[in-house]
Amino acid sequence: MGTTTAITSALMIYGIAAVISMFVAVMIKALYWALQFIQRKGKKQ
Amino acid sequence: VSWHDILNLFQGVSTLLVYLGKKGVLEPLLMIPMGLGMLAVNAGVLFLDPTTAAAVTETATAPAGTQGTLFVAPLVQKTDNLMYLLQIDFLQPIYTFAFSNGLIACFVFMGIGVLLDVGYVLARPFLSLFLALCAELGTVATFPIAVAMGMSFRDAASVAMVGCADGPMVLFTSLMLSKDLFVPITVVAYLYLGLTYGGYPYLIKFLVPRKLRGLKSVPGKAIKISSSEKLAFAVVACAVLCLLFPVAAPLFVSLFLGVAVRESGLHHFTDFISSTLLYGATLFLGLLLGVLCEAGTILNPKVLMLLVLGILALLLSGIGGIVGGYIVYMVSGRKFNPVIGIAGVSCVPTTAKIAQKCVAEVTPDALILPEALGACISGVITSAILTGIYVTLIPLIKVTEHL
Repeated sequence: MGTTTAITSALMIYGIAAVISMFVAVMIKALYWALQFIQRKGKKQ
Repeated sequence: VSWHDILNLFQGVSTLLVYLGKKGVLEPLLMIPMGLGMLAVNAGVLFLDPTTAAAVTETATAPAGTQGTLFVAPLVQKTDNLMYLLQIDFLQPIYTFAFSNGLIACFVFMGIGVLLDVGYVLARPFLSLFLALCAELGTVATFPIAVAMGMSFRDAASVAMVGCADGPMVLFTSLMLSKDLFVPITVVAYLYLGLTYGGYPYLIKFLVPRKLRGLKSVPGKAIKISSSEKLAFAVVACAVLCLLFPVAAPLFVSLFLGVAVRESGLHHFTDFISSTLLYGATLFLGLLLGVLCEAGTILNPKVLMLLVLGILALLLSGIGGIVGGYIVYMVSGRKFNPVIGIAGVSCVPTTAKIAQKCVAEVTPDALILPEALGACISGVITSAILTGIYVTLIPLIKVTEHL
């Protein structure tokens, strides 16, 4: 019972870690594009 | 085997640690203070006076002939006893106010933050974080294995963290989840971290054929990341991760404070954190770990299991990293060197250096270090995320299990 719970928990933990890591990657890209956009807009003005 | 023989054995082991540290086989910055601390604490045993013995054993009257040392009493909890021992044991103030609350781990993490150039991650975020995630295989897979071997959920999570190859994370997790075993778990983690430098090249040679090891990765489009972008990332990532995992917030704020200080160009702070604070914290971390290695603590029957699980966790993480490297190799149309995957096992910058060294042995002019450092630094971020998940979720799973 304990081992089954542990395997399920490990899969769940890996899943959560994967989602958060990819969220961080998306956040980095979004931040990069946002800063590029602001810089370009600043240069135009 | 008498108690005296066991103490002699420990003195032999601690002398060996100092020797291996001096020779560079194990990390000298940690092993020399740790070996000396272990040697001194197992040699400097004395008969305590009745008042001190009562404080250490937390009883009204201590039995005659109680043995102890003047170093540290890690298990004392009652405030009165603690206040008394703070005036007796010379390392008790550092242990109580900096070690047992994880402050020293945060200082080390702050130092790591100052040394990290997050530009490598920002240039290729998906690739770096994917490789780092694959290289966390041991951190996750060791957890159910440890439970199957009879460990509690809390102890299993703490020992599984050895797979992330990040000393401060292991220390922080075991302090939060497994107070009784945090000394042997952290000692095992730091001993094995020293061995990754020697062991991982063999794993790479075993899993990646020579032809692929020498493959030159085709560089992607060069992206220049400014210090303002790196600073913005540190601020946003710190806020998001602290919001998601308040329990691990001290670790996140320490890491990203280091990054922010570096990218803000605060040279006085950078010099202070990367030299005085980092090396001061490492010195006392090593010394305290050694002093905590009293024969009575280390001879816990679970230690053998920890030794097996620790090496298994690091092995699985290394394999996971290389499998991740192979996946990117296939997806990229065979233009990516799979060796880079092992750099996802954080241990900054050791694993990135190992990957570069193994590739350069086959193709001397192949440069994979930028991609490897990206994966390596992402490894620190994914390790911190996993620390947050373990520290937050494991106590909840334990509650469900009891229900």
